[in-house]
Amino acid sequence: MVRTSDKFPGVEWVEGTGDFIKINDEKCTGCANCIKVCLGSCFEIISQKAHIKSLETCMECASCWYVCVEGAINFNWPQGGTGYKSEWG
Amino acid sequence: MNKEYDIIVVGAGFGGPVAAKLCADAGLKTLLIERSENVGDKVISGLTIPFYGFIFGPAFIRDGNPPFERPSDGIINYIIKDIENGIIDIDDSLRVPKPLSPIVAFGYNTYCKPFCQWEAKKAIQAGATLKTSTTVVDFIKEEGFIKGVITDKGEQIRSKIVIDAEGSQGLLAIKAGVREKYPPETISLADTYDYEMAKENIDKIFGYTVKMCWGWDEQKIAPPLGYGNGLMVWPYRNSLHFMQDQCLRTDQKIVPNLKKLFDEYHKNITSKLPWWKNLVAPRIKLRARMWEGFEIYVGLNSTLRNYPNYTNGMILIGDVAGLEGTELCDGVPAAWFSAEIAAEIAIKAIRANDTSKSFLSKYNEKIKKHPIIQWSISAKNRYNLRIAQREHDEEKLKKYIHDGWGLGSLTYFTTPFLRLAFLFIRDDPTILTKWMKMYFRYYQNWIYDFKTKTYQEKTHHRPLFKQSLFLTGLKLINLWVKLFSVFKKLYTKTLINLADNANSYLSKKLPKMEPRLLKLVSLMDPISEKLSKRLIEFVKKADPEIFKVPDYKRGAVHG
Ligand SMILES: Cc1cc2nc3c(=O)[nH]c(=O)nc-3n(C[C@H](O)[C@H](O)[C@H](O)COP(=O)(O)OP(=O)(O)OC[C@H]3O[C@@H](n4cnc5c(N)ncnc54)[C@H](O)[C@@H]3O)c2cc1C
Ligand code: SF4
Ligand code: SF4
Repeated sequence: MVRTSDKFPGVEWVEGTGDFIKINDEKCTGCANCIKVCLGSCFEIISQKAHIKSLETCMECASCWYVCVEGAINFNWPQGGTGYKSEWG
Repeated sequence: MNKEYDIIVVGAGFGGPVAAKLCADAGLKTLLIERSENVGDKVISGLTIPFYGFIFGPAFIRDGNPPFERPSDGIINYIIKDIENGIIDIDDSLRVPKPLSPIVAFGYNTYCKPFCQWEAKKAIQAGATLKTSTTVVDFIKEEGFIKGVITDKGEQIRSKIVIDAEGSQGLLAIKAGVREKYPPETISLADTYDYEMAKENIDKIFGYTVKMCWGWDEQKIAPPLGYGNGLMVWPYRNSLHFMQDQCLRTDQKIVPNLKKLFDEYHKNITSKLPWWKNLVAPRIKLRARMWEGFEIYVGLNSTLRNYPNYTNGMILIGDVAGLEGTELCDGVPAAWFSAEIAAEIAIKAIRANDTSKSFLSKYNEKIKKHPIIQWSISAKNRYNLRIAQREHDEEKLKKYIHDGWGLGSLTYFTTPFLRLAFLFIRDDPTILTKWMKMYFRYYQNWIYDFKTKTYQEKTHHRPLFKQSLFLTGLKLINLWVKLFSVFKKLYTKTLINLADNANSYLSKKLPKMEPRLLKLVSLMDPISEKLSKRLIEFVKKADPEIFKVPDYKRGAVHG
């Protein structure tokens, strides 16, 4: 299955990615760096911890992983053949 | 079933397929693995591939017909001092003058996907196997050697050498313990918009010129936070690519709220920047928006620059090896150069039956000696520019812009360029005519309409006589250069010496020479214009066959 998003035209997402980004609650300090750099609005903070709201508009840029200096974000690529794709990159 | 290859290349972006093709050309059993469903699905970029990538890069690209969108003949820099009142200075000194432009281009603007696909097809034609929809998650490690890869489907595929072309994040390289994660201040996040626009309008408003904007922070155009980043707009065939970018963290370790800033800046740019608001905005339609990080300052940090780029059984190329340029944010040429060098060393290692670190260290030696890679990863103008921004120092700001994206860049670039050019001429005297043919062939491709498979402007081939005259001319040049190459040793030494002194000579002379040079160019304008038309007519009407270059030999490795 392929999804699109009104917010971000020209991009498609193939489903079946799996949870390729995970947050380690124990390490997360709630600093919100990941929220600030995620243009896809994939994170939210609930009781001072980051949570993944949805990876449906994730562009796999890894910015969240770069800015999490606590090492609370476990970042992997989605399952092969899934996730975002575009003709216009 | 567990298969075995000589070489596994991970990642079919810009660098991977080149390495795979060259290894397959040499008769090695080669596998190219890509995590996306189709090659190029996930590659996001600007993008102008600078000319040096084409002339000093893989022969099959130089001598082929790669798909690109538009030649680029230079940069126009807008220095935004007061957006509300339209106070904007311009530096457009970096430009290939007519009659050479647009046939001799500064670079070629392109979408990533068709280009990477074109490269991957060449790798397949050479005999490499392509496996897509497959994410490599780890390596097979035995006795301190990388012996192959493990995929997300749990498959183990063995090889003698792995060439890692996974791109800048480097998840695999980190996992293998070759290098560490790059710090966020070295990575810039690029927010990219793709707009449709009619070709006639682009021809009129942009021509062949890339537009860049710089300015004071409070102008909220570019760059946010005085961080040496800018706004770039690339003209394509029937579309524009718009990119604003910003580092993920400042030197003061602050992570900016990029989500908010990018939206705010985008709104500001599109509603206030005069040429965008008046000329571009009424004529475009948004087609796509996406974002991706690129390694903007990795090369400036000596620890990061000296991270290993090889280990037992593995070589890193392109972005994962930290080879993206700091000024033009260009990484494609370095991905190609490093792919060629990696293939050359991997082939030798396999033939010598020695894939150890100590053998593969020859790769690093060559990377460290490559004049263009080393210049591009260590150029400092963009980095310095942000300090001038922070200090509101207009004189300095203009100097850095001029030295990075204006004619002043000649005082940095000429030595590495000439050095490499002379080495290429030494190794293959006929390269001069190959370069000429490349430019002509690429121009023909530009006027070719890929949708209808016809030339956009009518072409009827010149009478045979003129073509053969041209061909004879090329042959004479080749003959002359070949004859001259008897004195190769003598003149290479002299020329290299000349190259090495070029930057310092130009730094002294250019400030005085520049105004005269620009005046001369403008005085020549009427003649150049006429000459340019004639040259274009010639190239348009020429039989494409005459710009082809005979196929290079199988097994040849360049670099
Ligand atoms: C916004 C932006 C603008 C840029 N502008 C320019 C420009 O104007 N000019 C220029 O020359 N360069 C530019 N660059 C840089 C250029 O795009 C890169 O330097 C170049 O793509 C690097 O090539 P590469 O082969 O190293 O990696 P990439 O081209 O990134 O390719 C990596 C490939 O590996 C695949 N992959 C990654 N991990 C795995 C895995 N585990 N398993 C399987 N496959 C995997 C990816 O899907 C991808 O296809 C820009 C980059 C960006 C982001
Ligand atoms: S950046 Fe890391 S530590 Fe900070 S909120 Fe996000 S996950 Fe938590
Ligand atoms: S990878 Fe990029 S788009 Fe995806 S969640 Fe992280 S920051 Fe957001």
